Amino acid sequence: MSAAAAPLPRRKDLLDIESLAPEEVVQLLDTARPFKELFTRSVKKVPALRGKSVLMLFYEPSTRTKTSFEIAAKRLSADVTNFAVSTSSVVKGESVLDTVETLQAMKVDYIVVRHSSPGVPNLIARHTRASVVNAGDGHHAHPTQALLDAYTLREVLPDLAGRRVLIVGDILHSRVARSTSRCMHKLGMEIGYFGPGTLVPDTRPDFARGFTSFADALAWKPDVVYLLRLQLERMHASFIPSLREYHTVFGVTPARFRQIRDAGIWVMHPGPVNRGVELVDEVMTYERSLINQQVENGIATRMSVLYSLQPVTEARADDEGAGP
Amino acid sequence: MTAPLLFKGGRIAAEDRPDLIEADVLVENGRIAAVAPGLPAPAGAEVRDVGGKILVPAMFDVHVHLREPGREDKETIESGSKAALNGGVTGILAMPNTEPPIDSGGMVRFVRNLARDRAVVPVWTSGCITKGRKGESLAEIADMREQGAVMFTDDGSPVSNPQVLRRALEYARTFGAILASHCETMELSGDGAMNEGRMSYRLGVPGVPACSEEICIDRDLALARVARGRIHIQHVSSARGMEIIRRYKEDGVQVTCEVSPHHLLFCDEDIADFDTHYKMNPPLRTREDNARLLEGLKEGLFDVIATDHAPHTRFEKDRDFREAPFGITGLETALISLYDRFIRADAFGWDLLVRRYSAEPRRLLGFDPVPIAEGGAAEFLVFDPEAVTRVDETFMRSLSINTPFLNRELRGSVEQVVRDGQVVLDRPAGVVP
Amino acid sequence: MSGPAFRSTPLLDADAVEAGIAGVAEGIRRRHPDGPLAVVGIHTRGVALADRLAQRLADRSPPPDRGALDISLYRDDLDNLGTIPTIRSSDIPFPVDGATIVLCDDVLFTGRTIRAAVDQLIDYGRPACIELAVLVDRGNRELPIAATYTGHTLDTARTDHIAVRFRETDGEDAVVLLRPEEAGS
Repeated sequence: MSAAAAPLPRRKDLLDIESLAPEEVVQLLDTARPFKELFTRSVKKVPALRGKSVLMLFYEPSTRTKTSFEIAAKRLSADVTNFAVSTSSVVKGESVLDTVETLQAMKVDYIVVRHSSPGVPNLIARHTRASVVNAGDGHHAHPTQALLDAYTLREVLPDLAGRRVLIVGDILHSRVARSTSRCMHKLGMEIGYFGPGTLVPDTRPDFARGFTSFADALAWKPDVVYLLRLQLERMHASFIPSLREYHTVFGVTPARFRQIRDAGIWVMHPGPVNRGVELVDEVMTYERSLINQQVENGIATRMSVLYSLQPVTEARADDEGAGP
Repeated sequence: MTAPLLFKGGRIAAEDRPDLIEADVLVENGRIAAVAPGLPAPAGAEVRDVGGKILVPAMFDVHVHLREPGREDKETIESGSKAALNGGVTGILAMPNTEPPIDSGGMVRFVRNLARDRAVVPVWTSGCITKGRKGESLAEIADMREQGAVMFTDDGSPVSNPQVLRRALEYARTFGAILASHCETMELSGDGAMNEGRMSYRLGVPGVPACSEEICIDRDLALARVARGRIHIQHVSSARGMEIIRRYKEDGVQVTCEVSPHHLLFCDEDIADFDTHYKMNPPLRTREDNARLLEGLKEGLFDVIATDHAPHTRFEKDRDFREAPFGITGLETALISLYDRFIRADAFGWDLLVRRYSAEPRRLLGFDPVPIAEGGAAEFLVFDPEAVTRVDETFMRSLSINTPFLNRELRGSVEQVVRDGQVVLDRPAGVVP
Repeated sequence: MSGPAFRSTPLLDADAVEAGIAGVAEGIRRRHPDGPLAVVGIHTRGVALADRLAQRLADRSPPPDRGALDISLYRDDLDNLGTIPTIRSSDIPFPVDGATIVLCDDVLFTGRTIRAAVDQLIDYGRPACIELAVLVDRGNRELPIAATYTGHTLDTARTDHIAVRFRETDGEDAVVLLRPEEAGS
């Protein structure tokens, strides 16, 4: 696999998938494997990041991603601190750099950040020595979700090159669609998008082909159908007329599920699922549904990410300067 | 009075001549007494050797935000006027979107008085089209005109209600007043923070489609035709928008328009790492728009170049891309950046720059241009085409530093500025107000 | 890293390597004539040593279990690594609780690698005992660690590089001393 490749330099931050070279994606995925093996041991923890501190800076609530990162950090023996961000007490956005200044004084080594505004992790990364991991910024990127999706898929389809993934739903507002498609594209997969015209923009990357019906999309013979979560408020902004119509045209209905099952297509969803909107109940228990594995693999992938990044430590910064 | 000034060995730029002409320039009693090669120095004259330098009529900027009153932390009339002088601009037109807005004769007088007392170059002001810039009812345009307002605009926002704009055009026509339009369809712009396109999709930043601007340009020009009013379209950013203006110009509608240096120089791809120094409204469009706007400028479709100088504090621009305010400064970098990127690269000549950033802006407001010609006003720059300007905080006089050129170097330098027959800026001598 | 040039001096030839391994195997056999036993190698050459030992002890009853450890995650010098370490899978296919484990590595030097490997083994469970087998003990310990079975003991300087080569990993059996060329610095 990547055994012969030259060792890759460690990067400071993980802000998006786009800036990763394909070899880096593969390296991060390969590194996740030994971490997943740890989960079968009696002690699931390794001392790799002992003495390091990981700060969870979540401006947007997200139980799943946050818990996943917390477990990942703790299994690497890092100290985890939650920075309580009260979005109500400060004017939105204004506090970011002030907060970063405070964090800089706390000398944290890693900052895991989620924010509703795109580019906030980039902003923080520019102003801190700590390694910044983007845990989702607005519609921009969600790189660890993309890595865990790819990891999950590689467990069942070891060579992803030439495989096809059909991403269905709200492409426009989805950081998952952006990051996961980029990641899968870097691993050689073919990408297809299907969704309402209001939610599948023409400004998408060239590599993603579009479809005008679910039937056409399935006729393309995808290996994977990746269903995106539909934010229910899209209905109020005239993106879709009704949830009923969405499900009928863009959802996995019982009839479409039979087609998917007959073709042996794998099904993914970043969660949480709106049952009866993106998919019907039966999909959840389908033997080729990867929805639950995605959650478990999230921890191993995030361990791999934290382990692979390199914060600018106080010691190293001093070494480079004229320290005593 | 002051001693005569003799500039020896310079090359002179003019709006009607692509070539630079070598000649000496004698300034006496505030006016240009002679322009000819080998002029002898009169008794008591101060002789300035400007060999290798270019003498250029001073610039005039019809689109500047001075933030006073209300946001004196970003810019004041005084600091803005110093920034202008530093950039080779000796006359500016302030926009009325201050806090409170300049929407009455009293406010116009207040700003004019401040300008008279504090500014280092003449500062003119515009007034609002509607009261409070709310787009609802007409402001007292005649009174503001009486107090010295030379243009009317709700800049920062469009007049969204077409009926209100039509009435404004008709009313302003009575006095021959000129209205200026910030063209944007608010419902289409929504919470957009950059041009809608591949780049906005990639960054996950809500986009402002070009049609938001184009629809409004078309609408405003259709209203100007019906109202037989005079309208000036501000900061055109879209090539299609420019084509719409071309059509109405050909139809004989009284329309003028401006293009900003940043819409010629930058595009949405420059935003790359969420750099808020590339966030302005209208937003940077595509590389193709850059090229076509430049063509339009060379064809003469754009009457004037104007910067839309929009100072914001470092704190505000350090916020995340969506939260950061729109706008960048321009007064101090417009001339040198246009020289560096276009004139030096032979994309256009000094004649175009003089016409569009010195002569036409003055004519637009009914003022005389300031060519370097015998008998004319002595209002020109000594420009060093080989010197390098480093755009850092030491260089800038604006209270704000929100420019994409921050800490970068540009070729060309405004070495001296002459106004009213005096050297009011003399960089080599360290005289930079 | 383009370090200084090295002068290579052979210390042990193939026969001596083989004899060292045989001695270690004999020691293990004497101490544990029967009963369950596991040999666990530390990547990369410790695994080769463990394999050789397992072959020599294959006639024991029962034959020894085999395992491999990658100690990357237990190293104490992650901060100093500029590149992403490639982590190989650690493979401990037998129950660690109550096991007698012989940890194998090619060279015993500062003792830090062994410290990390012991920590890691203990995270798999609670072995009855852990012993240490090395082909070469070159001294210069930084931790209070000693080998249970030693093939050869060599007297070395701290700055020397001792390289063990195995047929499986390097195409030959040998131990060489690498000393920096004394260029006029």
